[in-house]
Amino acid sequence: MTPHDLDALGALTRDYAAFQTRKSGLATALGGLMAVALAVGSLSPLFMGARLGHRLLLEYLVWTPLLWLLLKEFLARALYRGAGAVKALPDGAYERRRWFWIFGLAMFLLAVGLTGLYAFARGLLQAHAPRGCVPAPPLWLLAMPPVYLLAMPWAIRGIEEARVYAVLVGQSVLWFLPFFLFYFAAPTPPLKTGWGLFGDLLGVSILVLWYLVMIWGALAMVRGWKEHRDFRRLLGTLP
Amino acid sequence: MSTIKPDLHAILDLDRIVHEPARLAILTVLAAAEAVEFLFLQRITGLSKGNLSSHTQKLEAAGFLETLKAFRGRIPVTSFQITEDGRAALHAYHKQLRALLPKEGKP
Repeated sequence: MTPHDLDALGALTRDYAAFQTRKSGLATALGGLMAVALAVGSLSPLFMGARLGHRLLLEYLVWTPLLWLLLKEFLARALYRGAGAVKALPDGAYERRRWFWIFGLAMFLLAVGLTGLYAFARGLLQAHAPRGCVPAPPLWLLAMPPVYLLAMPWAIRGIEEARVYAVLVGQSVLWFLPFFLFYFAAPTPPLKTGWGLFGDLLGVSILVLWYLVMIWGALAMVRGWKEHRDFRRLLGTLP
Repeated sequence: MSTIKPDLHAILDLDRIVHEPARLAILTVLAAAEAVEFLFLQRITGLSKGNLSSHTQKLEAAGFLETLKAFRGRIPVTSFQITEDGRAALHAYHKQLRALLPKEGKP
């Protein structure tokens, strides 16, 4: 056994361990697909008010990030731990970056949750008439930001997963937050006066975000598939 | 009376526990991760269960690795972790081995 063989053995172990902590393979591709599906679904002009059975479609869509967390765990167990579990060596810089993502997402969710609560409280306190243009949002939706938040530290293993989760959570809250703003706190009457420059800026921002999500989703699908192919190749090199 | 050449001295000084190929492979794999499950060690080294157990026991007795027992659901799972002594022994072995091997371009 030469030093070269030993180095190769170490590298193989590190690569395999990466799939149990940092790389997600097909889970990344699935996240990209879900992000694109959410973005495409949002194109429907009736999306916000669309119904599935007796419930708003939105009430199902807000579970997308949590569904992805479950599926990614299932994929990890089914596909990437078949040859045994390997825990990667700790990497301080990487862990700091992971916590940076988790903290950033936590701050975002806090802001979204508080905005939703503010909209609800403002509607109640100022006795604004609920808007007729959107259906009444179920109040349990306000509990989603803390639920997303609580699931994070345990379920997010790497930065790649944090990115996917951030995109899915970001999209989910982007679709349900306007319900609270429109229904409980929209300035009256917004439809006659319009929102002026603010409305235009908001529209352009959402359009830019929409394109970014579509591009990111497509790239995530390619990257995830490539990682999965690399893993299959890696498994093939094991004796 | 014959004298031992310095090169041969260096070879004889190699740590026998680490020098055995199977144990060297085990330590190399363990050094590349924080903890490694028995199944993966078996797959990557190509050793049989009994053989792997015997080598890991020798390494544990030498203080080069720790055995971690846990349960996944109801299934017992055995993992291994290299110790500081094990890492130091492997490092020293690598250093000795590289010193012994002929440099590139020299016989």
